[in-house]
Amino acid sequence: MNQPVLLHVEDLVVHFPILRGILQRQVGAVHAVDGVTFDIHQGETLGLVGESGCGKSTTGQAIIQLQRPTSGKVIFEGSDLVKMDGEPLRQTRRRMQMIFQDPYSSLNPRMTVRQLVGEPMAIYNTLQGKERDERIEYLLTMVGLDRGFAKRYPHEFSGGQRQRIGIARALALEPSLVVCDEPISALDVSIQAQVVNLLEDLQKKLGLTYLMIAHDLSMVRHISDRVAVMYLGVLVELADRKILYNSPLHPYTQALLSAVPIPDPKAERRRQRIILQGDVPSPINPPSGCRFRTRCPLAAQVCVEIVPEFVEKSPGHFVACHMA
Amino acid sequence: MTDLLLDVQGLETRFKTREGYVHAVNGVSLQVHERETLGIVGESGCGKSVTMMSLLRLIPSPPGEVFAGKAFYRNNDLLKISDDELRRMRGADLSMIFQDPMTSFNPVLTIGAQVTEPLVIHHNISKVDAFERAVEMLILVGIPNARERMNSYPHQFSGGMRQRVMIAMALICSPKLLIADEPTTALDVTIQAQIIDLTKRLQDEMGMAMIWITHDLGIIAGLADRVLVMYAGFVVEEAAVDELYENPQHPYTIGLLGSLPRVDDDNRRRLASIEGLPPVLMEKPHFCPFLNRCPYAVKHCRRENPSLLQVGPGHRAACWVDPNTRNERA
Repeated sequence: MNQPVLLHVEDLVVHFPILRGILQRQVGAVHAVDGVTFDIHQGETLGLVGESGCGKSTTGQAIIQLQRPTSGKVIFEGSDLVKMDGEPLRQTRRRMQMIFQDPYSSLNPRMTVRQLVGEPMAIYNTLQGKERDERIEYLLTMVGLDRGFAKRYPHEFSGGQRQRIGIARALALEPSLVVCDEPISALDVSIQAQVVNLLEDLQKKLGLTYLMIAHDLSMVRHISDRVAVMYLGVLVELADRKILYNSPLHPYTQALLSAVPIPDPKAERRRQRIILQGDVPSPINPPSGCRFRTRCPLAAQVCVEIVPEFVEKSPGHFVACHMA
Repeated sequence: MTDLLLDVQGLETRFKTREGYVHAVNGVSLQVHERETLGIVGESGCGKSVTMMSLLRLIPSPPGEVFAGKAFYRNNDLLKISDDELRRMRGADLSMIFQDPMTSFNPVLTIGAQVTEPLVIHHNISKVDAFERAVEMLILVGIPNARERMNSYPHQFSGGMRQRVMIAMALICSPKLLIADEPTTALDVTIQAQIIDLTKRLQDEMGMAMIWITHDLGIIAGLADRVLVMYAGFVVEEAAVDELYENPQHPYTIGLLGSLPRVDDDNRRRLASIEGLPPVLMEKPHFCPFLNRCPYAVKHCRRENPSLLQVGPGHRAACWVDPNTRNERA
C-alpha cells in the first residue's frame, strides 16, 4: 500500500454511560468500542466486519463524529477531529460522508429528491440556483437515476433507487472518505449487486476512499482491499483481503469464515464448519483478558489473565491472539 | 424415492386491495417426500411465505383468499378439511417456525407454558409429564439450565436462544413435516450456523421432512435436496440441488447465481446484476413475468407465459428461450 494515509484512528474508545436512580448516577458503561486502531489509505476500501453489537457501526459514527468518542484520536487529512468542534469541525467534516443502511428511514419523506440531494449544498452554501440544479441532475445521472426524478418524493422509489438517492446525497459535497454502514443489507439479493457495482464504479471515477461496514463476508471479500474483523468492541484481526480470507490467524475469524454459506452444494459438503458455542457476551461486562475466550475453542489460562496485544505477525497482518 | 408426504397442485392465492386483486401465488405445485428437504428460494414478495401460509390456512381472510388448488398431506386435502381436523394436524403432523423469534412468542407467557402448549393440545397428557417432556426438548436444542429457564419470559432470551426455543416448540409433537420460514435471517452468521446444524441433526434423529424458505442461495446449497425458485408468485425453476447450481436454466436463477460473490473466491470480477425490479401483479400476466428484466427475451416471451417444462431429469424450468441461443449470448 503506497498511497498516503487518509484516516488514522488510534485507540478509539466509545462508552455509553448507564445511568440509574433519581440522581441518574453512572453505574456502568456499555463498552461499545474499546480501543480500536487502524489506518485507511487514500483510494482504498477497508472492510470492517463483525456480528451485530460488535461496535462496527459505532466505530463508523465515531469517525465521522456523529457519536463523539470517549477518547482516542481520529486524524483525518492531518487534523484530529476528536479535539475539534464548532466551525472548524464542520468544515473538515464535509469531506467525509456516510451512506446509511436503511434507505427507508434515512430520507425525509416530506422532501423531494431535489431538496434531499441539494440539502448538503444548501447547508454548506456551495452552489446556488441554476448551478445547484445542474449539479443535482449531474449527481442523479451519475448514480444511475433519471434526472426527471428530482421532482419526486422518496415513497415513489424502490429500496435500491432510494439507496442511490442516499449515495447521490453523500457525494454532493465531493467527499474524500465515505463511510458505508451496511449499504446493501436492507436490499433484495438481485438489487444488491446493482448497488455494489455502482459503489465500485464511483470509487474508480471519483477516487473515493471507503470504510465499508458490513456483516456479509462474501460481499466484503468482493469489494475490499483490506479487511478488519471486530469482536465485542475490539479489533481481533486486520490484513489484506487475500491473506485474511485465505489464511486467517484468529480463531474468531476462522469460525466466522467457516460459518458463511457458499452458494455451491459440492463446496458446502466438503466444508468443515467450526460451530462456536454460546452467544456473544454483554459489552457491559466484557470478559477479562481476551474477549473471545468464552467462545474460543483454543482458550487457555493466559487468555483469562492477559489481554492479547494487536501485533503485526507478518507485514500488514495484525492479530490479537495469544495462540496465533 | 420415499413416500410422498405433501402434494400441492395449482395453488393460487390473491389479496384484495383498493386497486384490485394482487396475485401473490399463481398456480404453485410442489411435492415433498418423507425425510426430504425442499428449499424454496426467492426475493421478498415472490410469494414463498404466502404459499406456505396458504397451506396451513394462516392467510388472513379478508383480504387474502386461497381461491384455487389442492394441498394433499397424505390423503387429506388441507384446503378442504374442517377447521377442527386442521387444528389437530397443525403443530402435530405439520409444524412451522418463523423468521422473527420475538414476535412469534407471546410476551406475557413463560417459555414453559408456550413450549408445553402443543403437547397439552394434541396429546392428552398431564401437566407434569408435559413439563418434563418440554425440559427434555429444551436440553435437546441446547438451552443451558433448561429446567430453570422454563420459567423465563421470551424477552429474557437472546435471538439465537429464542430461535432454539421456537424449534423446541415446533418439534415437541414430533411432526412429519417442518416448514421453516427464513428462521435464520434475523440472526448473526455464527448463530445461523448453530441453528442450521441443530435443525439438520434433529431432522435426522426424528426422520422428518422439511421445507426451508430463504432468500439465501448459500444456505440452500448446504441444506436442501431439491430446490424451487420462485419469482412473482410463479415457480420458475425446480431441480435437485446439485443440478440447479451447476446447470441453472431459467435466466432469473442464472442472474441470481451470477450476482453472488463467494467467500471462498478470490476473483474480483464485476458482479452480474439483474437490472430493474420485480413486477407487482395486479392481474395474472399473459406474458413471462421476468420479461422486463430478462437479457435473453425473445418475441414469444411477450405473447405467452411459459409453464414449467421438463428440461432434464427431475429438472423443470419456465422459459421460452432456447438454451443454445442463451449460451451463445452469455
